[in-house]
Amino acid sequence: MIYDEPVFKPGGDRNLLVYLGDEMSFDLNFLVQTYAARIREAALPGLVELIPELASLLVSYDPDRLGYDDLIRELAGIRRGIGRLEGLELPSRLFNVPVLYFDPWTAACVDDYRAKLAEKEPDPDYLVRLNGLADRRQLVRVHSGTEYWVAALGFWPGLGSFLPLDPRCRLTAPKYNPPRTWTPKGTVGMGGSITCIYPDETPGGYQIFAISPMPIWDPAQRLAAFRDSLALFRPGDRVRFVPIDREEHDYITARVEDGSYLHPEVGYQRFSIDAYHAWLDTLDPTKRF
Amino acid sequence: MSRTIDVLTAGLETSVQELPGRIGFWEQGFPPSGPMDIWSFRQANLLVGNAPDTAALECQFVGPELRFSAPALVAVTGADMTPMVDGVPVESWTTLALEAGQTLTLGPALKGARAYVGVSGGIDIPPVLGSRATFHMAGVGGVEGHAIKAGQQLPLGQAAAGPRPGTRVAPEARPRIDGGREWTIEVVPGPNDDWLDEAGRARFLGADWKLTAKSNRTGFRLQGPAWSFSPLATDKRPEHGSDPSNILDHGYPFGAVNLAGQTPIILVNDGPSTGGFINPYTVITAAFWKLGQSRPGDIYRFRAVTVGEAQDLRRALDARCTTASLQPG
Repeated sequence: MIYDEPVFKPGGDRNLLVYLGDEMSFDLNFLVQTYAARIREAALPGLVELIPELASLLVSYDPDRLGYDDLIRELAGIRRGIGRLEGLELPSRLFNVPVLYFDPWTAACVDDYRAKLAEKEPDPDYLVRLNGLADRRQLVRVHSGTEYWVAALGFWPGLGSFLPLDPRCRLTAPKYNPPRTWTPKGTVGMGGSITCIYPDETPGGYQIFAISPMPIWDPAQRLAAFRDSLALFRPGDRVRFVPIDREEHDYITARVEDGSYLHPEVGYQRFSIDAYHAWLDTLDPTKRF
Repeated sequence: MSRTIDVLTAGLETSVQELPGRIGFWEQGFPPSGPMDIWSFRQANLLVGNAPDTAALECQFVGPELRFSAPALVAVTGADMTPMVDGVPVESWTTLALEAGQTLTLGPALKGARAYVGVSGGIDIPPVLGSRATFHMAGVGGVEGHAIKAGQQLPLGQAAAGPRPGTRVAPEARPRIDGGREWTIEVVPGPNDDWLDEAGRARFLGADWKLTAKSNRTGFRLQGPAWSFSPLATDKRPEHGSDPSNILDHGYPFGAVNLAGQTPIILVNDGPSTGGFINPYTVITAAFWKLGQSRPGDIYRFRAVTVGEAQDLRRALDARCTTASLQPG
């Protein structure tokens, strides 16, 4: 559900958790991102950081400049000022992310896990079976057939949680148990109904089935896309996966290595929740691609 | 000639840290980093005439060997690593004047876990995302993103006039790092204390919790009794996850007692910003130095305080970290 009033919970002496609801839904996350934008606009003196998540925000503050009770009063007022979802809009950039499905690197990673940690069905076949798909080709059609909403960033620098915007493309997948000790950089994975791209070689728990040669974070800020930020995505951005073949993958990898790669991005759009809901009403969510 | 430090040996994991840490990039997943024991860290800087937040070295469990290319004021605080200059023992918590060519050596920590080396002028490496603090897991900040290594040269900043050599931190103004293995750690209940049942909350605050060796600047893993849960944890919407400790991904406050299954992990300076487990309690800023100075096998007992009490304790700690705590030798 989406709460009428935020639920405020302290996180120690200088952090505050603000829960706006307790469901995984686009509408609730859109509200979270709108709330985050309004809080930033309010520029409360003493507010330090803001982390929007799926259904909540973490706010850090300087208690010498902004008291706990004052902060809650301000934030409750900003939430009341938003009211209902209808009519809300947010700026939203669209990124086209080139992806090689069923690549050799994630396959080798899964093989390594099966040899060393636990036997399991290869991830692509597991996803096909679990979601009632015909074959791997349909997995690609469904997974790449929608835009994704960047609902949150976190856990690891640049790691995003992506929600599919087209309900016909919703897939689900349980997480690894035990988790993987490593995942190749650029791996595309899925856990629950969230898709992610692993920004770097890290441990992981999502089912994995593709890789993107396009860097999504760069601590050295070598490529043009990272001039202003180490991480490519911001919450409220959108992502579309564009299937590519091995030749294209290797071409992009070479451009990334020589520093000339340009990230494909569409940066001038606004996302209207009314237009989105109107489009949803035209769909038959039982149909797959 | 520029002033530098030559790293002869690096110690176990010695890194450049700075306050307030990397602020403003948490939303993108970058933790604040910075020193774990902000009390000792700031006093090390005060002893050498620096602003208390200046970049200095954090030495964990085994300290480094450092040769100075130019005269510098130096101070060692925090854990007792039996500092020596050119092989001669020197006092911790005291302003030392080193000459060009002299070597400061820190050994293994005899009491406490983390020592701080303040140097006049500070460690003058380029900031990354607004801070010199090292976040070594992702290779950000510090010296080339990581702990220092033998053979590196650390540049020093412009030194201001500092206190006279022999100046020390008044003993009553220092953190108590006396080799005791039991610590009282203050926590604020929340954000998710209501996901525990009454017995679970009483057990957390009543039990002895042992710090395990699987602990680092990301998280401190604890061993103790079983946890028990309220209906919020056991009767919830499926998207929260299947384990009672699972919750829809949310932000992790600095110091969160993060419960994954039955294992509590205190998330510290380099910890993750978000995730899908509950945080029933949060360690307060003023208790962080105790985490930083405790060793595997030490026992924690947790004491609940209010947000207001926690903020007052932090103000009291800040008041210790001024030149008023220094006294002539």
